[in-house]
Amino acid sequence: MRFHILVIALFCCGSAESRKVRGISSSYKRFYREKKSFLCIDGSKLIPFEQVNDDYCDCADGSDEPGTSACPRGRFYCTNLGFRPHYIPSSRVNDGICDCCDASDEYNSHVRCQNTCWNLGQRERAFVEGQMRTLDEGLRLKQQLIEEGVLLWREKQAQLRELQQVAEDLQIKLEEHRRKKHEADRFKEQTLRALKGEDSAVKPENTLLNRNKDESIAPDEVKAEVVPVHGEERRLSDDEAGIKDAHGAPGTMSSEDPHLKAADRVAEWEATNLKKVEEAYETVNMEISDLQKKLDIDYGTDWEFLFLNGQCYKLTVYEYLYTLCPFSHITQKSTAGTEVSLGVWGMWAEPAKNRYNQMIYENGEPCWQGGSRSTTVTLTCGTETALRSVKEPSKCQYIMDFQTPVACQPVLKQRGVHSEL
Amino acid sequence: MAPVLVLWLAVCLGATWAVDRGNFKTCDQSAFCKRQRALKPGESPYRALLETMELTNTRLTLQLINDNNKVRLLLELYRLQGNITRVKINELKPLKPRYEVPDVLIRDPPTEPLSVLSQDENGVVLSLGAESQRVIVSVRPFRLDIMEGHDVLMSLNSRGLLAFEHLRMRKDTFSYKVTSTVASVWDNVKRVFSSQADPEAENKEEADAANQAETTKEEEEKAEEGMWEETFKSHSDSKPNGPSSISLDFSLPGVEHVYGIPEHADDLKLKTTDNGDPYRLYNLDVFQYELYNPMALYGAVPVMLAHNAQRTTGIFWLNAAETWVDISSNTAGKTVFGKMLDYVQGSSEIPQTDVRWISESGIIDVFIMLGPTAKHVFSQYASLTGTQSFPPLASLGYHQCRWNYNDQEDVRSVDAGFDEYDIPYDFIWLDIEHTDGKRYFTWDPHKFATPKEMLQGLVEKRRKMVAIVDPHIKVDSNYKIHNEIRSRGFYIKNKDGGDYEGWCWPGNAGYPDFTRADMRAWWASMFAYDQYEGSMENLYTWNDMNEPSVFNGPEVTMHKDAVHGAWEHRDVHNLYGLYVQMATADGLVQRSGGVERPFVLTRAFFAGSQRYGAVWTGDNAAEWDHLKISIPMCLSLGLVGISFCGADVGGFFKSPSPELLVRWYQTGAYQPFFRAHAHLDTPRREPWLFGPENTALIREAVRQRYTFLPYWYQQFYHAYRTGEPVMRPLWVEYPQDPATFAVDDEFLIGQNLLVHPVTEEGSRGVTAYLPGKEEVWFDIHTFQKHNGAQNLYIPVTMSSIPVFQRGGSIIPRKMRVRRSSSCMEHDPYTLFVALNARGLAEGELYIDDGHTFNYEKKEFIYRRLSFSNHVLSSVNLVPDSHFTTNSWIERIVIIGSSKPAKVTLKTADGNESQLEFDFDASMSVVTVRKPGMNAGADWTVTLQ
Repeated sequence: MRFHILVIALFCCGSAESRKVRGISSSYKRFYREKKSFLCIDGSKLIPFEQVNDDYCDCADGSDEPGTSACPRGRFYCTNLGFRPHYIPSSRVNDGICDCCDASDEYNSHVRCQNTCWNLGQRERAFVEGQMRTLDEGLRLKQQLIEEGVLLWREKQAQLRELQQVAEDLQIKLEEHRRKKHEADRFKEQTLRALKGEDSAVKPENTLLNRNKDESIAPDEVKAEVVPVHGEERRLSDDEAGIKDAHGAPGTMSSEDPHLKAADRVAEWEATNLKKVEEAYETVNMEISDLQKKLDIDYGTDWEFLFLNGQCYKLTVYEYLYTLCPFSHITQKSTAGTEVSLGVWGMWAEPAKNRYNQMIYENGEPCWQGGSRSTTVTLTCGTETALRSVKEPSKCQYIMDFQTPVACQPVLKQRGVHSEL
Repeated sequence: MAPVLVLWLAVCLGATWAVDRGNFKTCDQSAFCKRQRALKPGESPYRALLETMELTNTRLTLQLINDNNKVRLLLELYRLQGNITRVKINELKPLKPRYEVPDVLIRDPPTEPLSVLSQDENGVVLSLGAESQRVIVSVRPFRLDIMEGHDVLMSLNSRGLLAFEHLRMRKDTFSYKVTSTVASVWDNVKRVFSSQADPEAENKEEADAANQAETTKEEEEKAEEGMWEETFKSHSDSKPNGPSSISLDFSLPGVEHVYGIPEHADDLKLKTTDNGDPYRLYNLDVFQYELYNPMALYGAVPVMLAHNAQRTTGIFWLNAAETWVDISSNTAGKTVFGKMLDYVQGSSEIPQTDVRWISESGIIDVFIMLGPTAKHVFSQYASLTGTQSFPPLASLGYHQCRWNYNDQEDVRSVDAGFDEYDIPYDFIWLDIEHTDGKRYFTWDPHKFATPKEMLQGLVEKRRKMVAIVDPHIKVDSNYKIHNEIRSRGFYIKNKDGGDYEGWCWPGNAGYPDFTRADMRAWWASMFAYDQYEGSMENLYTWNDMNEPSVFNGPEVTMHKDAVHGAWEHRDVHNLYGLYVQMATADGLVQRSGGVERPFVLTRAFFAGSQRYGAVWTGDNAAEWDHLKISIPMCLSLGLVGISFCGADVGGFFKSPSPELLVRWYQTGAYQPFFRAHAHLDTPRREPWLFGPENTALIREAVRQRYTFLPYWYQQFYHAYRTGEPVMRPLWVEYPQDPATFAVDDEFLIGQNLLVHPVTEEGSRGVTAYLPGKEEVWFDIHTFQKHNGAQNLYIPVTMSSIPVFQRGGSIIPRKMRVRRSSSCMEHDPYTLFVALNARGLAEGELYIDDGHTFNYEKKEFIYRRLSFSNHVLSSVNLVPDSHFTTNSWIERIVIIGSSKPAKVTLKTADGNESQLEFDFDASMSVVTVRKPGMNAGADWTVTLQ
């Protein structure tokens, strides 16, 4: 066995003499020029050069053993000709597992490692090329989507402004109708009082009726305003008014009084009209707030994610069907048919950094041991927009991989394979 | 993921956090315990019938009679090799045989002859051989006293609590009347036909007459509640055999400290039970157990150790039925001993501990282990039930578990995570969700579609996997395992003769009768590679739920009137879990043709379980107190032979804070079985999920574990050879220092490492007791020296794990921590030589292949390392051993040494060479650079 070790030692020293210190990159070669002694790279210790790669750790920074497993914090450089060079921890040198594709880390172990760098390199190049194509295509699609997004954004903005205008108009109408109703109510009151005091010679209804004739009752106007908002015709028709009129509390003496009848009718008209305007106003405001809420969401710097709002994407994993409706909600439906919420739109993760690559959906169906289901959606670059995978690493905490061109980032393009040749 | 499961769990187990105590019996709710406990100390009704005494070469037998009911018992007394006395008491003529626990003793214990020293009408004095040890059998009332010289070591029935419920016919039933009538008719017939000349017949007649007298007496006994039927919550126990419980008391003069009888979530030193329930031994699946109480847990080892500064003794109560143990420390029961003892009686101020064992059925079969030291008791107990199995080296590494790793991709990415964050591990575990619908021995067809591919991926990383195999079998006619068990009639039966069925993870399930040897052989054969589809050499097994757990059974376990062949479940309950692990371990051995060591983890256990693998402390919680209790729980198990113990790192239920998780890793790294585990409902907690600082702290703790693997392995080899615990209480090594007797917040690994883990939240320091007046202790991180016999305050930060190496010891370590223990196989050793006050140190180095049984053929390296007179030498301890290693000695660290002028290595061939070294004057540490000799060679290193 001792012989065995000697052999290793000879082998190591032999290679050192041939100017090749195992386990270092070319940029570190200057530290290992053969001299009488070696200075640990952190400057902590001067040792004889024979102690470099002699399988004993002398330097606290591990720099004397770049090619062995002796130093706990050392690292070994895989040259990996034909593929990507990289460092591995020293503890992976001669541990019986092939780590470097050029097999250089297992120079004294029972495993026979194949040099797989060329294949890996080819595969990686093909992969990267594929990725580049995807990225090119993705970025092209993204540009389109950005343009569409901008248009969509403008459209929504215009819609918002329009609605706000309508709301303003309705506000004015509302004031007016409140006033009218108030007057009509007061007139009805007066008429009623006048009717009780029979002596009174004054017939106030004339003025009222006259005025009605002059200014005309509002329903048609209201209708005109409401229609574009409601998109449907909904008003108290004259016929309906007439029927109400006919049924207007006949048996009593006072109600049979024509003046009172008219006042009553007017008051009722005004109340109905006011209600309609109020409803319209409320509806418009709700639509405004909906739209505002939608527009308040951060759709990216160029509104490129806007088009996702209103879409839904599905994926079946094992016995479950998952549905992701971006910026809205996520559900999970089992084959048995029960549907469970996995969260509603919460926020972008890390919004401050303007990195639009993770969405958080929260407050889904409650869980057995407290808390509620939540989902983190990671966006990745692809030429199609689709849900790619769903996992539940911890109970009630889901993660989704969602692919879309708008997640493509131009920076990706700069990465590639550089092989040391 | 599956709301159905969640719902089902909620229904089955209740969604509260603490244990639902109402689900488990108190002594008062367990009819036999209540009956027995109602019996108070006093004069025993039992009398020894000296005229029946028979003494053969191997044993003494003697009849005892209960003067109240005239029922006779048969006492058997054995002197066993190695200073053990065995006392067996059974009914002389039981109505039917009573259960005697099989398969726990590794053999019929070899006996030594007993001899009568003296005898008169008051009793007999027997010699126990060496050291003037005697047993005194007193006649009226019956009692046994074991003495050495003038000292009483232990007395049995001194408080008169021997109680033996004899089997009887049920009186209020028709069949009883018929049977007894027929019996007396038959007796008359026999009398007519029997030969007048046969003296035996005459004797028999007398006996029969006595029996008749008994019967009349018996009929006057009033039947107490719970004798023939008992209900608990909605469950009824039919008790066809009626009352059958047994009890016996033991007095331990001079003893204030008793230990053992696991498993309880309680302190190391057992408490008196006068004001509460006795300690209970009944294997139960306790959901979210509470700490610091005597409630039963998953396993039971009916072994108690008694210790004082002079002596350690042990009591092994071999009974597998539900058992309760009362402990009190008053001086009651110290009555007159008889003339042989009169002069012995000391003052009544001598402290005394009284213990009483109560079991529901079976016989009294008790082994009194007389020490005199703890190590003697360990070896005595090991001679009865065997030692800790020698585990594969890899199983002493770190285990990563979770309920559940969801699919192969999940396993792959967790495995990759360990490499990415450079944390070593050896085993990744799969819980129940890996199966196809909780059918064990199968794989989920979607999530684990290609298990061999997954296992091969681990092989390539030199890592391993454990998959769960529980003993409840889904009742499903499309499931091969179920069909085979059913068709072979291997299921446990219910009281009506059908297959017993209960609810567990798969829904309706059957329970194989592991008490049957043919069933176990079949079960073992299911682990063959061609039977267990998708299994490979690096797949090992975990037996959970083997109490057995039955969700809808009484106390979440099996009905006591379920039937195992001739016996009731009542008789065998505590043994079931042992049998499951035994059969599983056999399966793993057999699948390799007897070559490879098995690794099987079990939750339920009994005396003897140490022979089959590892035990963990069950479903604990992510709380600081649960971290603390892991120490006394594993110490208690170690004292009764089970060394391979661990607690779920991080806590199973709930979610640990990063601080608790880090502290738990630091503690677990220094406990024998080191596995992180987490409940399905908890967030992920792989070591790298809590920020770079915590990842680094956890990495460091795990790496420390791996550097000590040679020492751990050696300790397990030692445990396998001797039965001594690996993780041991301080008092075992410092038996005369009362300051150590109740210490359970620190512990020793072997003799040489003392660990005081930080188990308090926000701790800034711990006070460790460093034992031994003559000892010095060295901080393993800084090499700072501390004197023994002192309380040392140690300031701590988050990275601190207070561990000390004993001066006088040599510990071999491997400092090149790699991805897994297998990767470190050929790595060189660093020897840490810590000198004592006299400049001496000793240690051992054990090396073998790490995974086969070849060590049984002496294929190992076993060397003594010793340092004296400035010379460190390595000597072969087993000259006929044969094994070669590639490992060499890369460094020698001599702690507490003065600076040498030169250091010389001398090898076996006589060659001498000078070695380089460093000297650290501040801590007096010499580090010898690269001596380079093979770890299996003879050599000396001299400091001049």
